Amino acid sequence: MSSIEHSTYKRLSAIAMSREESGLKAVEVVKLADALEVLWVKSSQDSSANWQLFAAECGLSVGLAEQQKTDGDKTTVIGFSSIGVAFYHIGLPAAKESEIKAMVGMQAETLLPLPVEQMELAWRAGRVRNGQVAVTVAAARRENLQRFVENVRGLNPARIMLDCEGAVTAWKELFCGDAKDAVVVNLTARSTQVCLAENGRLSNAIVLDMGIEDFENKDEPKQILRPGSSRIRRAESTDSGRAETTERFIFDVKSALEAFGYAEAVNLPIYVLSDGSSTLKGIVACLKSAGLNVKAALPQIQKVRAQTDFGIEQLYEYRVPIGLALMALETHVLRPGSVLGTPIGGRADGFGLFDSLYRPAGTKEKKAILYSPKIAGAIAAIMLAAFIIVSYVIVVITPGAIEERLQTTDSSVNIDLLMQRHNLTRIVAMERPNLLELLKQISESGDSSIKLESFHFKKGQLVSITGQVQGPDQLYKFQEALMNKSGVKDVKILNPSRDSKTKKLKFTMTFHYRNFTNKGTRM
Amino acid sequence: MQKLGERDIRALKIGAVGAVAIIVFVIGSKWINHWSQARSSLEQVKAKLELIDIDKAKQAGLLSIVPVIEMPQKEETQTLLFRNKLNEQLKRAGINSESLQVLSGGKTPRAGYKLVRLKCSAKCRLTQVLDLLAGLNENPYLVGIEELRLRCDPQKPQEVEMDLTVSTFVK
Repeated sequence: MSSIEHSTYKRLSAIAMSREESGLKAVEVVKLADALEVLWVKSSQDSSANWQLFAAECGLSVGLAEQQKTDGDKTTVIGFSSIGVAFYHIGLPAAKESEIKAMVGMQAETLLPLPVEQMELAWRAGRVRNGQVAVTVAAARRENLQRFVENVRGLNPARIMLDCEGAVTAWKELFCGDAKDAVVVNLTARSTQVCLAENGRLSNAIVLDMGIEDFENKDEPKQILRPGSSRIRRAESTDSGRAETTERFIFDVKSALEAFGYAEAVNLPIYVLSDGSSTLKGIVACLKSAGLNVKAALPQIQKVRAQTDFGIEQLYEYRVPIGLALMALETHVLRPGSVLGTPIGGRADGFGLFDSLYRPAGTKEKKAILYSPKIAGAIAAIMLAAFIIVSYVIVVITPGAIEERLQTTDSSVNIDLLMQRHNLTRIVAMERPNLLELLKQISESGDSSIKLESFHFKKGQLVSITGQVQGPDQLYKFQEALMNKSGVKDVKILNPSRDSKTKKLKFTMTFHYRNFTNKGTRM
Repeated sequence: MQKLGERDIRALKIGAVGAVAIIVFVIGSKWINHWSQARSSLEQVKAKLELIDIDKAKQAGLLSIVPVIEMPQKEETQTLLFRNKLNEQLKRAGINSESLQVLSGGKTPRAGYKLVRLKCSAKCRLTQVLDLLAGLNENPYLVGIEELRLRCDPQKPQEVEMDLTVSTFVK
């Protein structure tokens, strides 16, 4: 373990922590205009060290509230091992980000080995060619990510990123990675990350089950039980054993290139991150011998400043956390108290695999403005006030508007006059008997032998008619017929008598006609 | 000047809120009064409109009974207009009436108008009476027929004696 004394810089710094086979590693760096300043580095002695204990050893406060107070000027990021992360490349029609997101979701259902509900996805859109956009999708089992989040939540990191992204960034910034597209090989003790970098950004990654220890000279073979694996790996020390290991390594690297879609493109540069050790030189040489365009990428120590002795070996050892810290400083990594931006999706600063699972304490989710209770309340109050004012105005102006409208239709009309006229019409209709109709009904009720002598109608009195008939039968028929007429009721025959001269039956008949003959009808 | 304490500031705030509340209450209550008046005015207009706005069938029925109507005027004017129109209708029907007799009536309980009646007597044919009755509704001043008496002479069955009393409203 090596360490540099903690300094008390006030500049914005980033602390990055990642786990390798040997244990946890942490750095704090500050990005200067032309260089990188490493404030301190620390690694754990125990390979299975606890994140929180290690953070405490590094002098970081653990616990959400405390950390915000004490580490307020620092950004902490955590590296997540890429072993469990699968990358997929899909071509989609160039479209808006929201549409791409939907398309990625649909495509993922067919690509993923597990149901989408059990997986966490992050995607990044690449180059657009012939109307097609290349999309890189990173997927990992949600359960694993959630478990990891629980382990590191106490550190309240600003973000959790993939460690292979840190390796690519370190290659780009510290190992002079200037190639546009390249394969970066990052060897650790017992594994190797083969990362495809396109446009300087991680595009794909495969983790091989071989590391530096497999290539180191050993006096005698030993068996190592790999963490998290039931497989027993044998490290060969004999020449034949090394040859077999080398062959397998070359085969694995070629398989990785094939998986990246670069099987035929032998010119694609492959950079092996190296500290200049003989083992790594040997690995580079063996890959070259296989016809691959391999170069050793050595750390550029001149790019790094440190208060104490910090050499190539240290820079190489802490390349991944330094790379993560650089990512944190270069991109807009969010700090507690700031507003978290875009959710999962095509973000340019790395795969946000953890964006939906983890949010630093104290950060606020960017919400639509209407989600703010104050804004929503204010809008509701304004709308209520507007509603009241509009209702009031409507109530106040409507009567005038109705009258105005009526006057527009007919200038002589006003609503009161209209109402009076309507009332008058109604009353007059009730006071106007249809005597023509009544006379017609009387005429229709009797036959030609009936001779009517008089007809008298007066409001409030019974209608009376007098006449002569041949006999009572005709009179009764006349009465009956009259009774069946509408509006006529209570038809009575009064004083029927025979005329001595004509021998005819003289009669007087009275009846009610509608309501006009009722008492009280007379005005 | 002495700096205000937290308690003083709180008291000032409460006082300000109270003052604002009083102003809002005073203005608001006046406003609400005005609003309620405006609402009652609107309700009245709506009620009037509802009275006027009757369905087409009823409207047609009313028009068949009262095809024309003029608003009543002062007694002298209205009586004159009514008499002239009735006289014209009698002439049109070919009825030679004796002079029309004006009969005054009391105030009607329904319409709030005074009723004036005109009585005419004439000897004419029955068809002329029927013609008169058919055209009587065209008189815009007519309220209704108050009385109609028809008497036939058995010797001259086509001839009738007619006594007709019709009414009009006057202010």
